[in-house]
This record gives sequence, structure tokens and C-alpha cells, in this order.
Amino acid sequence: MSSPISAAARAADVWKVYGSGEAQVIALRGVSLEIERGKFTAIMGPSGSGKSTLMHCLAGLDSVTRGQVIIGDTVVTGLGDSGLTKLRREKVGFIFQQFNLLPTLTAEENILLPLAIAGRKPDQEWYQTVIQTVGLSDRLKHRPTELSGGQQQRVACARALAARPEVIFADEPTGNLDSRSGADILNFLRRSVTEYGQTIVMVTHDANAASYADRVVFLADGQIVDELTDPSADAVLDRIKRLDLSVQAAAE
Amino acid sequence: MIKASLRGLLHRKLRLTLAIVAIVLSVGFLSAITVLNDTLNKRFSGLFQTLNENVAVQVQAKEVSTGETPRLTAAQLQQLSNVDGVNGTSGDVSDEAVVPFKKDGNEVTAQGFVGVGASGDDPLGLISLREGTWPKTASEVALSANTAKLAGVKRGEIIKVFVSQVGEPKPYTVSGIVEFSGGRDSLAGESLVIFELGHAQEMFYGQKDVFAGASFSADSGVSQEELKKRITAALPSGFEAKTGDEVTEEQSNQLAGQFDFIKIILNTFAYVAAFVGIFLIYNTFNIVVAQRSRELALLRAMGASWGQVTGAVILEALIVGVVGSTLGLAAGIGAGMWGESALTGALGAEIKSAGVVVSPAAIITAYVIGILVTLIAAFVPAIKASLVPPLAAMREIARPDKSLKGLSITGAALAVPGVGIALLGLYASFTGSIFVMGFGLVLALIGLMLLSPLLARPVVRVVGMAVAWGQAGKLGVRNSLRNPRRTAVTAIALMIGVTLIGAAATVVSSFKHSLQADIGKYDVAIMIVGPNYAPPNGKTGFEASALDKVEALPGVTGAEPWWLTIESSIAGQPIPVVATDVAAAQKMWKLETVGGALRTLSAGEFVSDHNTAKSLNWKVGDSVKVRVGTTERDYKLVGIYKATPSVSGPVFGLPAVDDFEGKLAYQGFVTVAPGTDVAATVAATEKIMAGYPGVTVGDMSTFLKQFNQIFDFLLLAVTILLGMALLIAVLGILNTLLLSIVERTREMGLVRAIGLSRGGVVRMIGVESILISVFGALLGLAAGVGIGVLLCQALIEGDFLTEIVLPWGNLAAYVGAAMFFGIVAAIIPAWRAAKLDVLEAIAYE
Repeated sequence: MSSPISAAARAADVWKVYGSGEAQVIALRGVSLEIERGKFTAIMGPSGSGKSTLMHCLAGLDSVTRGQVIIGDTVVTGLGDSGLTKLRREKVGFIFQQFNLLPTLTAEENILLPLAIAGRKPDQEWYQTVIQTVGLSDRLKHRPTELSGGQQQRVACARALAARPEVIFADEPTGNLDSRSGADILNFLRRSVTEYGQTIVMVTHDANAASYADRVVFLADGQIVDELTDPSADAVLDRIKRLDLSVQAAAE
Repeated sequence: MIKASLRGLLHRKLRLTLAIVAIVLSVGFLSAITVLNDTLNKRFSGLFQTLNENVAVQVQAKEVSTGETPRLTAAQLQQLSNVDGVNGTSGDVSDEAVVPFKKDGNEVTAQGFVGVGASGDDPLGLISLREGTWPKTASEVALSANTAKLAGVKRGEIIKVFVSQVGEPKPYTVSGIVEFSGGRDSLAGESLVIFELGHAQEMFYGQKDVFAGASFSADSGVSQEELKKRITAALPSGFEAKTGDEVTEEQSNQLAGQFDFIKIILNTFAYVAAFVGIFLIYNTFNIVVAQRSRELALLRAMGASWGQVTGAVILEALIVGVVGSTLGLAAGIGAGMWGESALTGALGAEIKSAGVVVSPAAIITAYVIGILVTLIAAFVPAIKASLVPPLAAMREIARPDKSLKGLSITGAALAVPGVGIALLGLYASFTGSIFVMGFGLVLALIGLMLLSPLLARPVVRVVGMAVAWGQAGKLGVRNSLRNPRRTAVTAIALMIGVTLIGAAATVVSSFKHSLQADIGKYDVAIMIVGPNYAPPNGKTGFEASALDKVEALPGVTGAEPWWLTIESSIAGQPIPVVATDVAAAQKMWKLETVGGALRTLSAGEFVSDHNTAKSLNWKVGDSVKVRVGTTERDYKLVGIYKATPSVSGPVFGLPAVDDFEGKLAYQGFVTVAPGTDVAATVAATEKIMAGYPGVTVGDMSTFLKQFNQIFDFLLLAVTILLGMALLIAVLGILNTLLLSIVERTREMGLVRAIGLSRGGVVRMIGVESILISVFGALLGLAAGVGIGVLLCQALIEGDFLTEIVLPWGNLAAYVGAAMFFGIVAAIIPAWRAAKLDVLEAIAYE
């Protein structure tokens, strides 16, 4: 069991309820989870299992109905807008399925944008490391529209890494990419965990993507139902099959 | 297809709201002007109907004659009253500059100053005695109830009355108070003094038993036309007869003519506002089409023809135009009603309200303008919509920025020759050169508009350095540059209003400085100016003999009267006739002789400035037809002088004054020896002029200040009248920002997710808004100052101006105002962007 100090983020008995009465949907049912510092954690589950909701709550993008979320030493639950803004500047980074780069900025400007917004000077040495790792040195002056999807997502990864946040949340980062570009991105994420000790949480429904993680947490019907450590793709697939069956069994 | 587009319209009603608002504002402005104008016309024609209520026929002197104005003798009047069918006869003995004084020695303030002669109750029943008696002697007067109230006098008390033909005001005893039919105190807030008939005839016409004309009522059963025929048969020469209806119509039309002038000016500003609206609506449709390209492509993929797609957009525009016009018309009628009741408050309820008039023309104009503006604006976006390829439904088609090359080349191809043509029009002198200049300026303006997307980049960059701080500011700068066309179109809407203001400010500033510089060249220290309650025609002002008293004051070296009438024409043109001692004027105003001689003029002689002489093709020795009042004579040009900002135009000698309506001088100029106490001299002059109603005296700096105030007021009036256009332009910025934010929802979410605060989002949008507004203001000021300088140069060519002075203070203030409006326009969009939910925004498709 990891101590509170070594946890980069924690969810304690988190509930998320949308709507009320007949239309009420319970997305998370008392999820408790610790994200270990310096590890690559994948969250998996079928559609509607609440995996994206869990990530959004962990990242402070969405509020929780009950329970508590902590990132580093900051209690996220109950933070106001300025507190959340501070949290985003200092503690978290994001990688989205849709890349979400600003079309008016060059690749380099996009990478440095979070730092510029926070008014922080980039650490030159680290910045060089990041762009070399993602292999973008010759594309820095290009606009997003002049880059391929894979290249755009690499820029997005570099942007998340540049500020060295406590945790990077990646939401289906390979969902919009072909398998080769996807593999590039996953390798890059893996390396930043292994070599630079970055903590990453990734939501995915792709077993192969999950196999790059140190630990896979399985979600079904708003609850953590299982987890795997140092998984292989086959092991993940196997677990998913069993889960699907058990979910069906539960439904019947 | 129609159903689909209607449903789409409802779905996007928020996005089209501001387009409708723009139509409502400009159509509302236009409708309000028309409705108010029609309403007032109806109301005033009601006034004339009352005035001529029982008049079946009116006899007046014919418009133009040579020699003396003809008068009706008492015998002739008697003869006319004996014409078969005449019921009542009222001889006309009246004057329009008879001013009563209050007890404190100041003249009363009223809407016109009427004096008449009467011997008893009005045979036509317009005026009747309320209390006391009619004036029986030359020292008695009767007053209308309104006059007694204004002057604060009662029956039996003394009132001083100024009659232009008499000069110094004289005291009268109030013998009675009269009222108008219906028990009214006045017809339209005017003052009315009634003299004993013979006394009035002596004062007004110089002899007893003569009348200017007469009004007749008819026996029952005799029509106006019939009576007119009979009276015409009995008329002495020099007179004509009109029916009461004809007189009413003439009087109404004359007043309507004066309203028309104001209406044309106001309409011009309303059309400017509508023109500005085109840009707002164009942007709206353009952005909406861009945002809908996927939906349009889907329709195309399902087999909709390009005509159907274009038609759908045009149909939307048509609906926007109809809805906007309807609401605008309603707003205009509302404003017309409000204006009518406000005017009732200002004029007093004396003139009966005739109700609000909404003419068919007002309704047609509202719809034609509203729909036309929308269709013009939606035309290009509609074509663009039809060019969306069906393929765009399947995937995101990259829309690369279209090159600005073609646009910019066209712009330059218009702007450069435009400036050239304008300069040609300025310096070449041929008939219509002013139109050539105007044509050139229009070309140059269109060119500048087409060039504006190209100019947006450098200008916004530079301005951005000044107003954008922090990363949020930088993002704002980038956003305003990402679509230069959109930024430019939004800015052009503001540019149009600012151009007009900038040009006006430049001309006004140059006028003020030129006048100041020119006045400084002369020794003239004090100026005397006649009243403005009636158009100058010799009946308002002061007697020349009063200036002799001024000339006798210590330190005064000269005092010269100038006469002025605007009831005149020279060579068929409506040019005022001014008269003075030209020799004295030459000395006082240091006039430079260009041709002939500047000397004291005899009868039938005049001089002119060189510009007027040139434009009317006069040479020394030429004979020119000059009409003053009803008298036309030939005058010979004996001298030409060089025009200055202070003195220009034709100048006549003292003999010409004989043809004026009255003998009163309208202006006086006084020179003093160095070291003279000017303030004391002004005070002494004021005392001498105290008996002449409305005459003001001041030293030159006071008058300069007054002139400056007039100029400033004109500038302010232009600015206020452009208010609607500026408001629409600011709404345009708001509109563009709102639509852009919808387009960039995901980006907003992203920058928030990576740590931009709410304040940062607000700043980002604020900077974009300020950049658009300042860019528009700078474009407008560049164009406006350019036009202003050209106009000033034209005025310098005409010697109305001597120098061009740019109004730097004003220009800076306009840029400041643009920034302020930029901030105001950003409030709602920034608020909407700041309250976006980060998660929803990122997920936004």
C-alpha cells in the first residue's frame, strides 16, 4: 500500500450523480483510487462505465457529488474557479483525443503556452529534452494545420510535459490516430514515466494501449471492479472478456 | 427545403438577433424621421387652417414687381367689399417685427412678433376682445393674452413696443386684452400687439388709409372659387386674389419646405446608419454560413441543388429583413409619438395636435430599406453557401485563408486613381469640379475598404503592442488577426462613422483657427450683431444713427454699419444682399483691390470678391440683375476685391438699402485707438443699443468664442446624428465576437484547461474587441482627415480658409472613445466566454 505522500492523486469514495428523479444517472458509485507517483496508470472499461467521468473528476474538470479528490497536497473538492485555475497551472497537464491545439500559434508556441499563461519561464534544458523526446525539433515553427494528426498529438504531449505537472491526464490520446502514430505516442508516454518519473493517468478502451501502463484499473457500472499490474495486452484482453461476462451476468 | 431552412432559422435565432437589431435601429431611425415630419406638417397645416378659417379669398400684392410695393387704398378696399357675395372684409395692416418689452427693460421672448392695426372686432372672427377696449388713440395698444402674460403687464399699465420703422421703442397704454377664436391666448406662442388702425398704417406704410392686402369671407352659397373669380375682376393692378384653401396650402408648403431641409439632413444620417448595418448583417450571414458548412454540405449530398442552398440563405435574409423592418417601423412610430408629445411640451399646447401620421410612404420606405439592406448583405454569403462541396459533410475540409492579393490589388487600383481624381477636382477649375472631387473620394474610400484586410495585420500588431499585455493579450491579438477579412469588415462599419466625424472635425478646427488668425489682422475691436428671431431683411437690427453715438465714445476711431437682407437674389441666385460704405469697409478690413475701384458706391453700383466674380463670370463693367424684396434693378460691377475669411461676396452701396423692407442695419463694426478700455466701450455701446430688440454687442474675442461655440455645436450635432451608425458599428463588434466565440468554443475550453483564468479569458476577448474598434477608428480617422484636408484645401482655394489645422486633441479623444466602445462591446461576449463550462467546451463539436 502506498503512503499518502507517494500518491500523486487520490479519489476517496467519489460519487457522481447526473440529473435527479427518473432521469437520474449514477456515473460513479463510491470510487476510491490512489494514483501512484511516477507510475503510468490506465483506466479501462466499457462505454458508459464511468471511466471518462472518473478522469474528469480526478483532474478537477468536473465536480464530484460526494467524496473527495486530492492532487498532490491540494484538496480539489470544493475549490473555486481561481483555485482550479491555480491547480491547472501548477499540478495538472492534459492530452485530449482531439489534440486541441490553438490554430493561431506555432507548434513551439503551443508547447510553451501553459507556461506563458502561468507567467513562468521555461526550463531550457528540460524543454530541449522534451522536444527531442517527441522528435519535433524541425517542426517547431509550423502551425497545427501544417502538421499530421500524429505530429499534432506529439505537440500536445510536449505541451503537457513542458510544465512538469504533478499528473498528466490523457483522454483516449490515441483514439484519433492510426496504429503507428498511436504507438509513437504511447512509447513517448511510457518513456516520460520511466526516464523522467512523470505521473500519467490515461483513459482508454484499447487493450493494446493499456498494455503500456504499469497498472490498469477496470471500471464497470461506476465502480472499480478489478485491476492488473504490469499487464500484457493479452492479459488485458482476457480480463476484459471476463469482465464483460460478469457485467452481463450482473445485468441478468 | 424551405421547411429545413425555416427550422434552421429558429434554431439560430440568437445568432441573427443582432442582425435584426441593426435593421430595427436604422429602419426605426428612418421611420421616426418620416413619421415625426408628417405629424408636424399635419399639425402646422392645422394651424394655418385655423388662421384662414373664415377666409374665402385673400388679396395680396403680386410676388415681384418693379418700383414701390403696391398698397390698397381705403376706397379700393371699400369697392372690393361691395363685390357681390362678399360677407366680411378685413384689411391687412400688419408687420412681423413688432417687439414688446417687459417691465425690466428686456424684450419678450416669443415664437414670432406680430403687430397689426385694427379698429374693432375682426370681421372674419379670428380675433376678439376679451377685456377692456380696442385702442382708440396713437398712444394705446391692445395685446393678445399671451403677450400680456409674456410681458407681465395688465390692462391700464404701460408697455414699451419696438417698431422697426420707428426705431427707439415707444411707451403705450394697454387698453384691452384680445383672444383668438376658441378662447386661445395665442395661435403658436407668438406675441401680438394691436395698434389703432390709422397709427399702424402711418408707422408701417408711412400714410393713413392704405392696406397691404385684404381677406374676405363669403356669403353662404358662394364658393371660394366663385368669389375669387368675382374679386379678381374688380382687382386694382399689382394685386392678385387667392382662395383661402390656396393660401393655407401655400403657407403649409412653405413651412414644410423648411422641415424638408432638416428631414433631408436627418435622412442622410439614417441612410449612413443603414449602410453600416449592411456590414454587420454581412458578417452575421458569413459566419453563420461558415459554421453551417457541414449542414449545408449534407443537404447538397442529399441532392439539394446550389440554387436551393442559395435560396435557403436568401429566404433567411428576407425573413430577417421583414421582421427587422416591422419592428423598426413600430419603433419609429413610437419614437414619432414620443417626439410629438415632447414638442407639444416645448411649443406649448397652443397648436392643436392632429394625431400621429403614418403615411404609406413611411411604411413602404421602411420595408424597402430594411429588406434591401438585408438582401445586399446576404448576397455574397448566399453564393458562398452554394459553393460548399458535398464532400465537406464527410470530413473537415480545411479552409485555408484565401489570399488577400486580388482584393488588395483591386483596392489599390481604386484608391490610387481615386486620390488622383480628387486632387484633379480640387485644383482644376471647371464646372462640376466639386463632383469630380467627390467621385474621386468615393473611389478612394472604396479602395481603402478593400485594402483594409491587408492593413489589418500591421496595424493590429502595432496597436496590439500598446494594449495587449500578458499571454491572454497576445492570444487576443492572434485571434483578431486569424481572419483579417472578418476583422476588417467589422472595423469598416465603425470606420464609416468615424470618417465623417474626422472630416468634420478637421474642417471645423481649420475654420476656427483661420478665423482667429484673420480677425487678428484688423483693428476691429467691437462687433454689433442684429437679432436672430427673424431672417434679416432691414426690419431687425438698429438704426445707423445709433452708431454715430458709438463713434462719439472716447477712444473710438470708427463705427461702420452693414445692412443685410436675405430676401434677395443676384443674377437669379439666392445670394444675400449686403450694403455698406465700401470705401470705409476697404480701410477697416484692409481689402485688396483686384480690379476696378473700391470706393463709396452710388445707386446702381456694386463690388464683389474675386471668387464670386470668377464663378459667376463677372468682369468690371458688367451689368447684373439684382432683386431685393419685390424690386429688381440692374447693378454695374465697379470693383473686385480679394476675398478673406472675414469679408466675401457681393457688396452694395447705401442707396441699395432703399429697397430693403426696413432701414435697420444688421451688423456694426467698431475700431478703437490703442489703449482704449474695450470693456467700457462695449458697455457704453450696449447701453446705446438697449432699445433695439435682440441686438448684441461684444468684443472680438467674445464673438470669436461664440463662433467657436457654433462650430463646436455643429461638430457635436454631426457626432450625435452619427450616433445610430456608431451604435450599429459597436453592435457589429459585439456580434462578430459572439459568433467567433461560438466558433472557438473548444479553444476556450482548452486554454481554460491549461490554466488560463476567467480574467484571462475576459482580457483575451477584450483585447480582440479593442483592436477591432481601434483599427476601425484609425482607418476612419485616416480617411476622415484626408477628406477633411482636401475640403479645407478647396475652401482655401475659395479664400474661406487660410490654414489647415489638424484637431489633434479631438483625434486622440476619438481613438480613446473607440477603445472605450471596444471594451463595452466586449462585455457580453467576454462574460459568455468566461462562464463556459470547461469540460463541455472541450467536448463541443
